[in-house]
Amino acid sequence: MRAPIDLKPMLKPKSVAIIGVSRSPDKVGHIILQNYLNAGYSGRLYLVNKSGEEILGMETYRSILEIKDRIDLAVISIPAQFVPEVLEECGKAKVKSAVVVSGGFAEIGQGALQDEITRIAEKYKIAMLGPNCLGVVDPRSRVDTLFLPTYKLSRPEIGGVSFVAQSGAVGSTILDLISGEGFGLSKFISYGNAAYVDEVDILNYLMNDDETKVIVMYIEGIKRAREFVEIAKKVTKKKPVIVLKAGKTAEGSAAAHSHTAALAGSYQAHEAIFRQFGFIIANDISELFFYAKVFASEPAPNGGRVAVITNGGGVGVLTVDAVSSSGMLSLAQFSKESSNALKKVMPSLVNIRNPLDLAGDADDKRYSQALSVLSSDNGIDMLIVIALFQTPGADSRLATELIRLKENMQKPMLVLSIGAEFTKMHKIMMESAGLPVYDSPASIALALEALLRYSIYKEKH
Amino acid sequence: MLLDYFEGKKVLDRYGIRSIESKYVESSEDALKFAGEGKLVLKLISEKQLHKSKAGLVKLDLSGHEAIAKAYRELEAKGRALQPYRIIAQKMALGGVEIIIGGNEDPQFGKMVLLGLGGIYVEVFRDFALRLCPITRQDALDMIDQLKSRKVVTYGGEATGMIQDLLVKTSKLLYENGDIKELDLNPVVVRPDGYDVVDIRILK
Repeated sequence: MRAPIDLKPMLKPKSVAIIGVSRSPDKVGHIILQNYLNAGYSGRLYLVNKSGEEILGMETYRSILEIKDRIDLAVISIPAQFVPEVLEECGKAKVKSAVVVSGGFAEIGQGALQDEITRIAEKYKIAMLGPNCLGVVDPRSRVDTLFLPTYKLSRPEIGGVSFVAQSGAVGSTILDLISGEGFGLSKFISYGNAAYVDEVDILNYLMNDDETKVIVMYIEGIKRAREFVEIAKKVTKKKPVIVLKAGKTAEGSAAAHSHTAALAGSYQAHEAIFRQFGFIIANDISELFFYAKVFASEPAPNGGRVAVITNGGGVGVLTVDAVSSSGMLSLAQFSKESSNALKKVMPSLVNIRNPLDLAGDADDKRYSQALSVLSSDNGIDMLIVIALFQTPGADSRLATELIRLKENMQKPMLVLSIGAEFTKMHKIMMESAGLPVYDSPASIALALEALLRYSIYKEKH
Repeated sequence: MLLDYFEGKKVLDRYGIRSIESKYVESSEDALKFAGEGKLVLKLISEKQLHKSKAGLVKLDLSGHEAIAKAYRELEAKGRALQPYRIIAQKMALGGVEIIIGGNEDPQFGKMVLLGLGGIYVEVFRDFALRLCPITRQDALDMIDQLKSRKVVTYGGEATGMIQDLLVKTSKLLYENGDIKELDLNPVVVRPDGYDVVDIRILK
């Protein structure tokens, strides 16, 4: 078991060298430089190119050894066969970390070449990410090693969710999607072939990273299983980890000699470990978002009793169905005091029961009155506020009022809003203010269930 | 390699896991003597057949000379294709819910323990929970809660503590015996006030 590798020089570098930067705008090295400039990286930036030619008006160096400064991070995007030599030079120049973007290693059968660069990284203690990876994005330090131009792939705002992906393709699509969500990004780490830095190092770093509130992982395989188990036990005691694991349908061993072996394949073993150590398991990409969002903003609930407030009867019923069919959630009973208080303030057409249907003409004031009462009802652990913006009473004032109510809310409060452009506008308003918005009863129930499951796990383990 | 049934039974004994009274028999008279006044089960055990019930290698609820002799002959006939084999006589377990408790060795993570709705449909319903060994009592409870059939399996909670015990003991057994690669206790017949391990299959 080796000591975990520190990723701070990679994520918070004071100086960066881009090796393999190119003049032609469609080359990887050029896009990386462009992205650094776009992101407004404020540390010291150096360019390395064998020809030594000027690029975008910036001076270049022929080799990293020519740079007098100490380099925290080298971003390497050159053909695979030259990587060992360049990494060796990085070692001699005492570079602290490296992102090897280049492909052409173990993923195409060049295992020996990969082993060679791993040995160099170990020898010089370079925190090496990759090869064959997208690298890292940290919107706070404005580090962005992605070779995907920003006009194609939007970058998210600053936030508390860190996203870790082995695969570059899954990673980049998710990063693009996160930028459309209200919760922001803390770190994005795509680690590719994991020749040196792997999921264990990354989890260890993020566990201790105060900027990270929630960790989201996409995993294809785990390299150091025993070490992974050790870090898994620790990390979920500090913060939630949401995981999506590929390979669910892989065939189990056909020649199993026991029922147990026939049932307990590799995916099942991974899933068992995730459950055992309190990870939240997502079954597809959209679930990653349901979970990331709720954990990014919501407090731990005391239990699973849900109150539903709605301005549309039918959606209220569908939501009650979703809550009731969850094995963990139940519909709350309003207390006598709450019922009496509601009777006083609600118009007579409002039936005082859960789900509380405020009627189609409900405006921000009616929502406010209802939520003020229910937020202090001890028989309610969580609130689902259905706000359908197609109705006459619902407009931006409602979104603003819900944001205001959320600020003093001690319990999880999630909004369900289904609709097109007008609704989406308000969704972004609310989510940017830390009020998560869902667009289906099923997804909101999943999110609340995960929130409850994790809080029970933390209490019991 | 399949561990001898009675070697397996001894391993379970060491960890305080009781299994049903059993004996190898060489003839139907042998079986009749073992049965005494009670009801009997005859099973053919061979490394070549995992699915004993489906293959007709389990004869349940036998009593009287005639029934036992007939069952014994049938097993002997089937045994010719499954050499080497043994015939085992067991006391008939009281009725109950059948669960499976199992273990195997994941090539990456190591020893895993399994709980599931058991019996012959275990691979059809696939209602099971898996954990890495060793497990805590809380882990065992989480495994039970994970089953869709938890209410059936625990008799609405009455048998929960007993199943937790069994799981923790099995996990300890697996964790401490590195040479055991796979383990099936299937079925374990559970009643609100007790259980019987009816079949043991251990692979080293």
